[in-house]
Amino acid sequence: MKKIITRRIFIGSTVLAGTALALLPQGAKTSIRVEPFKVIEVVQKVLFPKGLKAPSASEFGATSYLATVSTHSSFWRDDLKFLSHGATLLIKKERDFLTMTPNSKDKALRNFVSNNSKGENWVALILFYTLEALLSDPIYGGNKNELGWKWLNHHTGQPQPKVKFAQL
Amino acid sequence: MKKYDVCIVGSGAGASGVAYTLALGGKKVIMLERGGFYKEEDFSKDEIAYCKRDIVTPSLRESYHTIEYLSANRWVKKTTYSDESSFFNGNIVGGSSNFMSGYFHRLKPVDFKLKSTYGAIKGANIVDWVIDYDELEPYYEKVERLVGVSGKVTPYKYHEPRSTKEFPYPPLHEHPITKLIDKSCKKLNIIAYKTPRAILSKSKDKRNSCYYSNYCGSYGCSSGAKGSARASLLQPALKTGNLTIITHAFVKKLDEKDAKVTGAIYVDTQTKKEHRIQADLFVVAGQAVETCRLLLNSKSKNFPNGLANNSNQVGKNLLFSAGGVGTGQFDASTMSLKELMVEGLFVNRSLCDWYEIEDKNIKMKGGIIDFLFEHNNPISKASKQKWEDGKLLWGEEFQTKLLKKFTTTKQLNFEVFNDWLPTDNCFVSVDEKYRDIYGVPVANIRIGSHPHDIKVGKILAKKAKSVMQEMGAKDIQTSISSYPPANLQAGGCRFGDDPKNSVLDKNCQAHEVANLFITDGSFMPTGGSVTYTWTIYANSFRVADAILKQKKS
Repeated sequence: MKKIITRRIFIGSTVLAGTALALLPQGAKTSIRVEPFKVIEVVQKVLFPKGLKAPSASEFGATSYLATVSTHSSFWRDDLKFLSHGATLLIKKERDFLTMTPNSKDKALRNFVSNNSKGENWVALILFYTLEALLSDPIYGGNKNELGWKWLNHHTGQPQPKVKFAQL
Repeated sequence: MKKYDVCIVGSGAGASGVAYTLALGGKKVIMLERGGFYKEEDFSKDEIAYCKRDIVTPSLRESYHTIEYLSANRWVKKTTYSDESSFFNGNIVGGSSNFMSGYFHRLKPVDFKLKSTYGAIKGANIVDWVIDYDELEPYYEKVERLVGVSGKVTPYKYHEPRSTKEFPYPPLHEHPITKLIDKSCKKLNIIAYKTPRAILSKSKDKRNSCYYSNYCGSYGCSSGAKGSARASLLQPALKTGNLTIITHAFVKKLDEKDAKVTGAIYVDTQTKKEHRIQADLFVVAGQAVETCRLLLNSKSKNFPNGLANNSNQVGKNLLFSAGGVGTGQFDASTMSLKELMVEGLFVNRSLCDWYEIEDKNIKMKGGIIDFLFEHNNPISKASKQKWEDGKLLWGEEFQTKLLKKFTTTKQLNFEVFNDWLPTDNCFVSVDEKYRDIYGVPVANIRIGSHPHDIKVGKILAKKAKSVMQEMGAKDIQTSISSYPPANLQAGGCRFGDDPKNSVLDKNCQAHEVANLFITDGSFMPTGGSVTYTWTIYANSFRVADAILKQKKS
C-alpha cells in the first residue's frame, strides 16, 4: 500500500504560537481556562446532533473522548493550541453562542466559517476529533456502547485493544 | 566488552534475511532496533494507535525530517513536524514489514538492465544493475518458502522466469468482486493477474494462517500469517540463541579506524544513555533515508563527508515509487449488496500487461497496477466525507452522507507503480542546523522527480480506469502525482563496480570500508515498477550468503 502523505487539515500559519489558553477538562479552576472546552462541547452538539438513527455527540461521548486523548503525549500540540484559539475567536464573534437555541447556534457557526478559512479549519478539526470519538475503540472513552459502529453497521477487527495507544 | 561477530542496525526486511542466515550459520549476531518488540499478542486493530498517532514511529517532537520541494522553480525546505507528515515507517522489531499489505511482486529481468534495454533518458541517472535476475531468482524462491508467499502463477507476456512451478502456499480466499474484475478484463482482452501475497493461507511452524480480520495493511498481524521480518525470520533466528535484539536503541554513529567500522554508538531512547557495540562486521539496514543519514553523520578523519562517502555518492539517487492512486465507487447497481459487503476477503488482482509500453512506436518501461478495497479504517473513511465541493459538511446532511457511504457503497482503489527515475534532485543529505532531541542532524530529503515518471503513470492510470469503467464503477477518480509515498524508499547507496559512482560493490559491501555491508533497499540503482519488499528480502539472503562465504574463506 502506498502511504500517501496528506495532512488531515491545513493549519499551518493559522496557529498562533504561545496562545495563553490551554485546553483542560471541565472542572479546572480558572474560568477562562474552562471556556474553550465548553465552547467545543457545544460546537460538537451542533456538528453531530441526535438524528433519526444517528447518535448525538453527547451520547457517544465526543467531549469526554477529546478530554482523554488530548492529555496523551501523542496528541498533536499544534491542534491543542488551535482548538483553544478558535474557541476564543468564535466567542469574540458570536458572544451569545453558548446560550443560543440549537438552530441559532447552527446558523452562527455557518456564519463563522463563511469566508473565514481559519474558522472553517477550526470547525473541521473539531469535526475530525468528533469522528475519532464516534468510531474509535470504546477503550478511549468515545463510541459509548459502540453506538457509532452500530449506527454505521461497522464491524471492528479482532482483537480489539486491551490497552490505550498500544503501549507495551 | 563483549565482541559480536556481526552487528546489524535495523530489524526490517533488509536486516532480517542476514540475521536469520548468520544466526542459523552459528554466528553471534546483535541487532539494534530503534523501537520496541511487539509480538502477535500485543497487536490489535486499534485505528487510533496504529493509524492516527506516532506510536510505532518516533514522535515528530523526538525526531523528524526536512523535506525540500520545488516551489516556483526554487527548492523550499520544510520540516515534517510543521505539517505532521512523518517519513518514518514502522520503527519496531521487524520494521515496516509488520505493517505492509504484502502485495508481493518480483522484479522482472528488464529491471536489471533498464539502461541497456530502453536507453538513457535525459536528466535521469539510469544504470544497469551489476547482477542480473538469474542471480537473485534463487533468493526470491527462498523468500516464498521462508517468509511465505501465497498465490497462483498467472502467465502473461512479461512474467519473470521461476525455478519452481507454483507458490508454496495456495491463494487466499477472494472477495466476490474479483469475478467482476476477471469478467471485465476478459472483455477488454487484459490479463487479470492473480496477485501473490506475503500472507500465509496455511499455517507454518508457529505461525497461524490468515484469519481474514479485514484490518491488514497498516496493522500488525495477530496470527503471524503476514510475512513480517519479525514473525517469519527473527523469531526463528532468536530460537538459535545466536541472535540478541536490543530494542529502543537509536544508532547515532558508526566509529571507524583504518577504514573499518570499530563500533556502533547508540542511545537508549528510554534511559537516554549512550552505549557502544563492538563487532567484527557491521550491517546497516535502517530503511534508505535513515541508513544514508547514519553514514552521513558518521564522519571521521578518513571520511570527512561521512562513512564510505569519499565518492560523495551516499544519499544520491534516492528512489521512491512513482505512479499514484485511483478510486471507484461500487453499489448495488453493479453486484448484489450482500456480495459487495462481504468483509475480510482479498481482492488480489493486478494488471501487469503494460510492464513494457509501446507508445507511438517507442518502447518504454511501464509498470503495474494493484487493485484493493479502501482500507476498513472507519475514522479515515468517515473523515474523507466531511468536505464536498470545497464546503465543510455537518449536521443532518453530513450524517446522511456518512450512513450512505458506510452501508450502501464500497470503494475499490487501484495503485499505479512505475519506476521513480533516479535524478540529481532526489537525495538524502544532512543539515547541521536541524537536529533531533539527541543532538544528531536529521535527514534532509529532496524529493524532486523526473517528468517521465508522470507520463508513464498517466498511461497506466488510463488503463486501470478502463477496467473500472467496464466494471461499472461510479465516480472514478485518478491522481498521478510526483509526491513520493513515504513508505516505499530505496536507493541512496547504490551498488556498482566503480567506486567513483557507487557506494557498494556487487555484494553490497562498502567499496571503502572493509567490514560494512548495507542490506536494505539502499543498494538499488533503479527501483523497478513494483513494491520493494520482496526484492529487499531476497537481496538480504543473497548478501548473507556472500558474508558467510567470505567468513569461511
